[in-house]
Amino acid sequence: MKKIFALILAMSMVLSLAACGGSEAPAESESQAAESQSQAESAAESESTAASDFKVGAIYINSKNDTAGYTFAHHNGITKAMEELGLDVNTQLVIQDEVLEDYDQVSTAVDTLVSEGCNIIFGISFGYMDAMADKAEEYPDVIFSHATGYKSNETNFNNYFGRIYQARYLAGIAAGLKSLELGNNNIGYVSAYGTQYAETCSGINGFTLGVQSVNPDATVYVKELGNWADEVNESAFAKELIDTYNCCVIAQHCDSAQPQIAAADAGVFGCGYNSDMTADAPTAHLTAPIWNWNVYYRTAIEAAMTCGGAENFVTAMGGPAYYGGLNEGFVDVSPLTENCDPNTQAIIDAVKALIASGEWDVFSGTKLTYTVNEDGTVTVNKTAGALVTNDGTEIVPADGPSVEDGVITGTMNYFVEGVKAA
Amino acid sequence: MAEQYAVEMRGITKTFGSVVANKDVNLGVRQGEILALLGENGSGKTTLMNMLSGIYKPDRGEILVEGKAVSIDSPEDAKRLGIGMVHQHFKLVDVFSAADNIWMGQEKAGFLLKKDRYNQIGEVAKKFGFDIDPRKKVRNMAVSEKQTLEIIKVLYYGAKVIILDEPTAVLTVQEIAKLFEVLRRMKAEGHSIIIITHKLNEVLEISDRVAILRKGEYIGTVDTAGTNEQQLTEYMVGHKVDLNIERPMVEKTRPLLEIRDLTIRNDEGAVAIDHVNFYIRGGEILGVAGIAGCGQKELCEAIAGLRPIESGQMIHKGDNIVGLSPKAIIEKGIAMSFIPEDRLGMGLAPSLSIVDNMILKNYRDSKGPFVDRKAGRADADHVIKELGIVTPSAETPVRRLSGGNVQKVLLGREIKAGPNVIVTAYPVRGLDINSSYAIYNILNQQKKDGVGILFVGEDLDVMMALCDKILVLCYGRVMGVVHAHKTTKEELGMMMTGALDLTNKYEDKPAGIARDTNFAPDTAAGKEE
Amino acid sequence: MRFHVVKRENCPLWKKLGMYALAVAAALVLGGCLLLAMGVNPLAYYGRMFTMGMVGNKIAYKAFENYLKVFAPLALTSVALSLAFRMRFWNIGGEGQFILGAVAAATVAFKLGPVVGEGLTLVLMCLAGMLAAGLYGLIAAALKVKFGTNETLMTLMLNYIALYFITFLEDTKADWNFYLDPTSVRPIFGRFANLASFPKIPIGKFGLNICVILTLVVGVLVFIYLKYTKQGYEIAVVGDSTGTAHYAGMKVGKIVLRTVFLSACLIGLAAAFKVGTAGILSTNITDDVGWTGIIVAWLSQLNTLAIFIVSALISMLHYGSDVAAATFSQVDSSFANMLQGAILFLVLAADFCTRFQVLPVKKEGKNNGNG
Repeated sequence: MKKIFALILAMSMVLSLAACGGSEAPAESESQAAESQSQAESAAESESTAASDFKVGAIYINSKNDTAGYTFAHHNGITKAMEELGLDVNTQLVIQDEVLEDYDQVSTAVDTLVSEGCNIIFGISFGYMDAMADKAEEYPDVIFSHATGYKSNETNFNNYFGRIYQARYLAGIAAGLKSLELGNNNIGYVSAYGTQYAETCSGINGFTLGVQSVNPDATVYVKELGNWADEVNESAFAKELIDTYNCCVIAQHCDSAQPQIAAADAGVFGCGYNSDMTADAPTAHLTAPIWNWNVYYRTAIEAAMTCGGAENFVTAMGGPAYYGGLNEGFVDVSPLTENCDPNTQAIIDAVKALIASGEWDVFSGTKLTYTVNEDGTVTVNKTAGALVTNDGTEIVPADGPSVEDGVITGTMNYFVEGVKAA
Repeated sequence: MAEQYAVEMRGITKTFGSVVANKDVNLGVRQGEILALLGENGSGKTTLMNMLSGIYKPDRGEILVEGKAVSIDSPEDAKRLGIGMVHQHFKLVDVFSAADNIWMGQEKAGFLLKKDRYNQIGEVAKKFGFDIDPRKKVRNMAVSEKQTLEIIKVLYYGAKVIILDEPTAVLTVQEIAKLFEVLRRMKAEGHSIIIITHKLNEVLEISDRVAILRKGEYIGTVDTAGTNEQQLTEYMVGHKVDLNIERPMVEKTRPLLEIRDLTIRNDEGAVAIDHVNFYIRGGEILGVAGIAGCGQKELCEAIAGLRPIESGQMIHKGDNIVGLSPKAIIEKGIAMSFIPEDRLGMGLAPSLSIVDNMILKNYRDSKGPFVDRKAGRADADHVIKELGIVTPSAETPVRRLSGGNVQKVLLGREIKAGPNVIVTAYPVRGLDINSSYAIYNILNQQKKDGVGILFVGEDLDVMMALCDKILVLCYGRVMGVVHAHKTTKEELGMMMTGALDLTNKYEDKPAGIARDTNFAPDTAAGKEE
Repeated sequence: MRFHVVKRENCPLWKKLGMYALAVAAALVLGGCLLLAMGVNPLAYYGRMFTMGMVGNKIAYKAFENYLKVFAPLALTSVALSLAFRMRFWNIGGEGQFILGAVAAATVAFKLGPVVGEGLTLVLMCLAGMLAAGLYGLIAAALKVKFGTNETLMTLMLNYIALYFITFLEDTKADWNFYLDPTSVRPIFGRFANLASFPKIPIGKFGLNICVILTLVVGVLVFIYLKYTKQGYEIAVVGDSTGTAHYAGMKVGKIVLRTVFLSACLIGLAAAFKVGTAGILSTNITDDVGWTGIIVAWLSQLNTLAIFIVSALISMLHYGSDVAAATFSQVDSSFANMLQGAILFLVLAADFCTRFQVLPVKKEGKNNGNG
């Protein structure tokens, strides 16, 4: 009987091996491990850090071997950034993965990473914030950098996030042009949450403003999942938006490509999120707002290596909150597919340039319209127009200034005109 | 042998450990006859039949089916040989329909359930003259319907020899009549039927011949037409065996425990004890005789406060103990030791040590929150020494002990508590002779100390030798209380089977009513009359 | 040939321990094969795992503190579960009871922390955690006693109710929801470490959390309770035979209620220790101790001392494999989970083999009837 158990177990092991997906890096010998560790320890104390001694720590919410999703995007970003900086991912990156959002578990993971000699520790999940804040105080020699949060200090603890709403505005342009082409003013949006989270709310608003800049008559119907990951409903809600609300483009703020696949199945179009989802739905996909996490990670690691001590990190980063956007290349849209209206690329390029110039941002008292010239170039026209919520409250008067970053990341809890809850 | 039997068993012997269940038994059933298998509890009837139906294998002896020696290794073998048994406890799946219960036993039942199985089974039932709805779920069936279904099942698989283990025990009078009609019809169709029972009137009514077993031994087979209840009882219980059990004469005191007009229902809600009266004096052993399942267990449980009663009084030294908690009853000095069939079910915690079992009833008496094991250990050592319990130590878990020692632990504890009434049921169940005598001595010692003892027993010889008086129960009713030294086994046997009722032997005083009662009639009568 | 399972009488202790050791070794060998396939030296990995990364670690005292943070709640929860299990009450609602205990303790910290002193707050947190968890456990016990419901299903379902309850608290931004951090726009549990936090006894750099000591004390008390008190005796009798317990005049229903309440109370205490140390709630507060505790209790055969040893070993596995996964970049923590699973699985198989043996059925032997 035990034999059978062992056999089953062996089989399950083989299967899990296959699932591990060929991370066939050479074994680290014991002496090497010990050596690099002692080096790292001395490194933590020394003021300036040699590149070969530098260690990056990361705390992930899911497995580091994931092949899609949030953790994958960050892991990809970190490894890419390290490669660009000439750091060895196998020996200089230390990971604690599958760390749940629990104060004790995060604290323990930080301790482990510190004991491994990490110079900078990235935490990618919002719920890591309190533990990281406290640990930053406990280990002043180590840099802590926390994604999506809002806590920080003046020396060794910052937070980082990106102006994804800018990329969403661009995706909105693609969607709006498509709706004009199809003569259907209904656009669907499957979102993890609605106004509860500024992150989702600003995304929906950015997208809608992009849509309306090309098709002022369009309406964006939003369906909320109430969950960050729910593949079944992601698909079902997309279908409902298509069938019940007659939507011709499906945008999304959720992890999986299910809404895009549903759009492809129904013969309509869509905008993905996080990564280029063209491969998942080639006949439907227009473009996707994407993150280039490596942009931040490269900046942060570079700063950490050169700032001359953990206490200088925040200063070196130019402030406790990193909020990069199109300008830095931190966010972007994926390459447009052939499904897009032919003028899309030119308009997006023009808007990108405008945002990059710093003259204009999405949430402001100025609206954009576009004129496509005969030579294919685009002229962007700015007109005064108030930013108004969908229940008629004026947020920014016509010609008013841009909404502050703190609002976009923190307190935005209203939908703009043109958004309807479905 | 000149005669060709449908099934014949020759020289069958079967032992379980040291217990001989069947010893050199011969039995034959002819084609187209009803053979009654008669015997007391534990006489080995069911064991014998289980060997026919392939559940057990005999240690010695042979089984012949239509003259040919066969080996029955499994119920499937029995089925193939045309032998079917309807067990006392039905082997049916409650949530299945009647048809499915039959269908699922088939080897060729196939993977899919087809709709036509209802018709097929229905037709078979009709063919045998049964009226049954094949779609009816077993859980919705009355007991008699379930039994009918069992019989149909046996017939469906082509049984020529049908064994019925106490089929009437669960039926009403009308249902019994109906069952007998069925049996007669089956007999007419050439089936051979063996019916296990200990109800003499039924034996006389239905059977052609009667085979009698006593204590595992084959007594003989007689033609029903040429016998009567008297003779059968004699065969069944045998002649009195002198066991040399001491019966000390003790001066009797006033009744310690009186039971008045007691009615108790069993777990199924049927009346288990039916308006029973009796009393126990100090220095007296009152035996309770009766066929198994005649309310003995319910009676013991009611006295111990474990089972609510329907009506009546239980008076201990003049106080009504009805409705008292088991704890209060223990505190009054009433000890109960019931040895169930599995021996360990009630009264002992098998995984705990002897010491821990010793303190089961008095662990509350020590002061403070802690258990006083010191006293328990002293008690255990005392009981081990006194009763000669064979055990590695007082810390040995009770389940590791042999049966006799387990029972000694149980009785020893009860006695240690210094009770004034002991209720003991089957205290020698499964014990060898020496252990049994040790137990009898313990009880007699208690009797001499003025304790009133209710002895629920199985072996009539023992009861006649040990008890002062014997109360006979027949299906919950008292058939009379007799003096043990004056009665005969035949009389007891007749009373047990319901053939003799001595409750009104003395017109002025029905059996079981004490003259010098402790019991104030006004409180007692108030409720009932 | 057919087989049947026969109960084994009296497996000697050395043989039992040998079987367990063999099972662990077998699991490690299987895991080692997998490590080799991933290009990792199994010995180096296991060395790292079993030393929990403390060798050559400048902050080894931290590692040990973190290890105790895993160990203490698991040990206390297992001890608590063993109380109910001894009575054959299958309380698999440890998770839910833990969560409710944690929420109750946090409530006290938030509401009374600012009013009464820290010491009193901590005591009240423990009491509140115990009461809440105890009452939650009592639901299943009362239904079982009253209506004969199945406690396994009932406690299992109550786990999910508790889990959804705390998730609801974490997700719901509202004026009444004082559990959340008021400064955060996005709902997130608030810290109360400044109001109430269990003290640590400094031993050099190492800080021994007082909860660890209390856990050991509770363990000793439970041991005494089970072994020497009347109530412990009653639990043993009820667990062995309810019929006998009735017969001995015990109020079985009351004993079940009392014991389950106590069992759940101790789980609530473990929860209060945990939140009182972390100073914050979380939806993952249990760290699965309600589940792992069942295995620990079972592997320890409900022996209180063994529970502490087994908890220590399981915690070592749990924590050590996380640490080892950090050193060896090829191995992720799913490997650690799998290794834990394999060890537990084989140890349970070994346990089965110590209690039963598998024998071929002899064709003629059907003598297993009763007299």
